[in-house]
Order: sequence, then C-alpha cells, then structure tokens
Amino acid sequence: MIVIGFTVLGVLLVVLQTSVCMIHPVWLLAPDFYYILVAYLAYRLDLLRSLIILFFLGCVLDVFSGTILGMYSLLCFSAFFLLRYAAQKMPVSESLYQVPLVGVSYLVISWITYILVSIFEPGTLVEWYWWKMMVRTCLIVAFAFPLFRFFEYANHWLSKGLFAWKKVRVRTDNRYRS
Amino acid sequence: MGTGVFFFPMRKKSTRKSNSRFRLFRLVIFAGLIMTLAFIFLVSTLGNQKFGGLHKLVLETTGPVQEVVTSGVNYLLSFKQGYLEVLGVREENKRLWKELKECRALLHKSREAMATNARLKKLLAFKDAADFPVVTASVIGKDPSMWFRSLIIDAGTNSGVVKGSPVANSEGIIGQVITASPSYSKVLLAIAPSSAIDVLLQKSRVRGVLKGSGKLTYRLEYVLKTVEIEEGDVVVTAGYGGMFPTGMPVGVVSKVIRKRRGMFHEIEVTPSVDYKTLENVFVLQRNESAVDE
Repeated sequence: MIVIGFTVLGVLLVVLQTSVCMIHPVWLLAPDFYYILVAYLAYRLDLLRSLIILFFLGCVLDVFSGTILGMYSLLCFSAFFLLRYAAQKMPVSESLYQVPLVGVSYLVISWITYILVSIFEPGTLVEWYWWKMMVRTCLIVAFAFPLFRFFEYANHWLSKGLFAWKKVRVRTDNRYRS
Repeated sequence: MGTGVFFFPMRKKSTRKSNSRFRLFRLVIFAGLIMTLAFIFLVSTLGNQKFGGLHKLVLETTGPVQEVVTSGVNYLLSFKQGYLEVLGVREENKRLWKELKECRALLHKSREAMATNARLKKLLAFKDAADFPVVTASVIGKDPSMWFRSLIIDAGTNSGVVKGSPVANSEGIIGQVITASPSYSKVLLAIAPSSAIDVLLQKSRVRGVLKGSGKLTYRLEYVLKTVEIEEGDVVVTAGYGGMFPTGMPVGVVSKVIRKRRGMFHEIEVTPSVDYKTLENVFVLQRNESAVDE
C-alpha cells in the first residue's frame, strides 16, 4: 500500500511541477518536489520499497523531462543512496540537520550528473549557472519541511491501510501479546 | 371692630359688581369690533375677490411660520427615511457586494473569452492559410528541469503525429516532436541546445544553422564573415531535407558579433514565437516522401 501510495504521490508531484509550477518553458522558480520525496524515502522508508518507488519516479521524470532517458533515474538513485548513507553515518539524526543536507545533496548530485551528461552527451544541456542552481536549492530547502510533514502524515495514513480491514479482523482475547 | 367687619364687605361687593359690568362691556365692545371687522372682511372678500392688504399681511406673517414648520416636518421625514434606510443598508451592502463579485467574475470571464477568441482566430487563420495538413494541440506540460527545454502536447500518433514532426504556431516555428505516444507527444523546443534547424536569411538568402541557447534566444551558426548581415534581418526555415516547410518565420537577427578570429559570424536571433505564452500549437504533418529524399 505504501509503495502504491507514494508512487501515486510522486507522479502527482511531478505533474504539479510540470503543469502548475512551470509558468513558461524557461521558468526558474519551480521547486523540484520529486527530490524532496527522494530524500524522504532515503530517511524514512525501508530499502526495498524505496527502490520500487524510485524506479517508477525515475521513469515518470524521464518521460516528462529531458531528452536523455535514464538521467533522472540515475539522479534519483544516486541522491537516495547518498542521503541514506549520510543519514546512517551522521552522528546527529535530528531533522534540523536533515533539511540542509537535502539541499546540499541536491546541489552535489545535480552537479555530478551535469558533468557526466556533458561528457557523454555534449551539447544537449543548457549552460550551468550556479546562481540558478542555488535558487532551486533554496526552493527545495524551503519546501522540504512542509512536504516532509505531509509525507509523514501520508506514511502514517498509508501504514494503517486504506481500507480498514485491520480494524475489523478477529483478534484473540490475549491483549498483552503483540 | 364688629362695625368694620360689617361695613367693609358691603363696599367690596359694590366694587366687584362694577368691575364685572365693565368687563362685560369691554367684552361686548371687543366682540362687536371683531364681528364688524370679520363682517367687513367677509363682505370685502366675497364681494370683489381682491387679495387685499390684510391678506398680504397675513400671508407675510404666517409664511415664515409655515416655512419653518414645513422644513421641520421635511427634516423629520427625511430623518425617518434615513433611519429606515440605515436599517436596511447592511442587507443592501451584502447584496451589492455579491453583485459586484458576480460582475467582476463575469468581466474576468469575458476578458478571458476575448483573449481566447483572439488567439484561436489567429490559429485558425494560420490553419486555413497553411498549404500542408496540420494537427492542433494544446500544451499540457513543460519541462521542469533547467537543463532541457521541452513540452508535452496532447496530440500523438493517433492524430498523425510522428517523431520529427515540426511544431509551430501562427507566429513561427516552435520545435519538433522527439517522442510520440498514441495520445501525447514530447516536443523539443527550438531554444533547446540540442535543437538545430536549417534556416535562411530572408534578405540575403544565406543559409545557416539555428541552434538553441537555452535562453529565449537562438544562435545562428555557420554564416560566413564575408556575408553582410544586419540587425533586423528576418530568419526563415530553409526547408532542406523536408523536415520543416520552407519560408516559415523563425526570428529576427538581434545582434551580430564580428570577431577578428574565425570564419563565421556570431549571430543572435530573437524568436518570432513568444515562448512565454505558448498554449496552443500546430503539429505540421510531414511529407514523408520529401523527408526520405
């Protein structure tokens, strides 16, 4: 249920970003919602389910954006593993530090992806501007906290199950065993 | 003492009697005077029907009184009316605000309809004037990344759109289809760095390759320095290879940088299409035989 729920959520975020947030084709102030979802998956969800969601998310992004298939999948998976590794290795796991880390990782992963694509597919990408990337990073940081809260709520809701079968199932009288 | 008491009441009674007589007399005289005056007034009024001095005097005397009373009454009436209106003004205010909102919404709708009408008229004019079959499509999504410039449109292979189909609007060339599914297609915009279109300078008929810069301008490449180019020269599609029809507007030369080194000019072209307001586009159905040639 969580996999389906977050996959649908990812698709909706991408659609929102491509239709509502992009006022015209060269619009800058469209926050990369999908990246916040990637970060949330890295921090909160288990590996297998996250990878399934990321697979679909990368597919959707490759369809909606860009001319190089697989680029977004690479970006999403790289970001996921980097953030997961960082979250495990970091001495402090406070959410206060997690949000800036999302921004920094976005900048680093984007830069590495840009360099790789520029090497293997020269002349296909628009020129890199640091200030534009910084604006996008700031947008991600700004939206990270509210979206994390929303994902947390969605996760909680999806964990209970969309249909309340768990509530009506027959239980034993033993209320002390988990 | 006893005599005094007896004598004085007798005198007092006599004085009171004469006083009452005098009073009665005065009353009779006064009543008679009034009656006489009234009679004279009545006779004179009924007789010659003349608005005499007395009438005028009466009118002059009572006029201001009447005026004051009337204005007072009017003031009271208007005050009452005002008070009653104040009681109903809240309801009226609500109603008027509601009406204003409705009117504003209607105005907004009308403006939107007018703008849509104007846009569709232009598109229709282009469609009618086109020598080749076209498919109308709407832009449903824009590339969210900063590195690519593409669009998603709501026309696909079911409508006859294929990979490589040119996309334009009434203002000029927009780009070309790079992938198509049955109902939707992805369009690579001409401003994308990976886009390259064969073009001609309309005036000098010199050929060049138009490349996207990623911004809202193009770069015109491979135009030799020996060619004279001026700002304002119109750039149109060359039509080589049959990908784009010949002579479609692409843009206008906005800057020519003449460098000492190199063989070619550095030319910046401003697009004829306003990429910021793209809503409806035409996919030009390609002449397959021309492309194959």
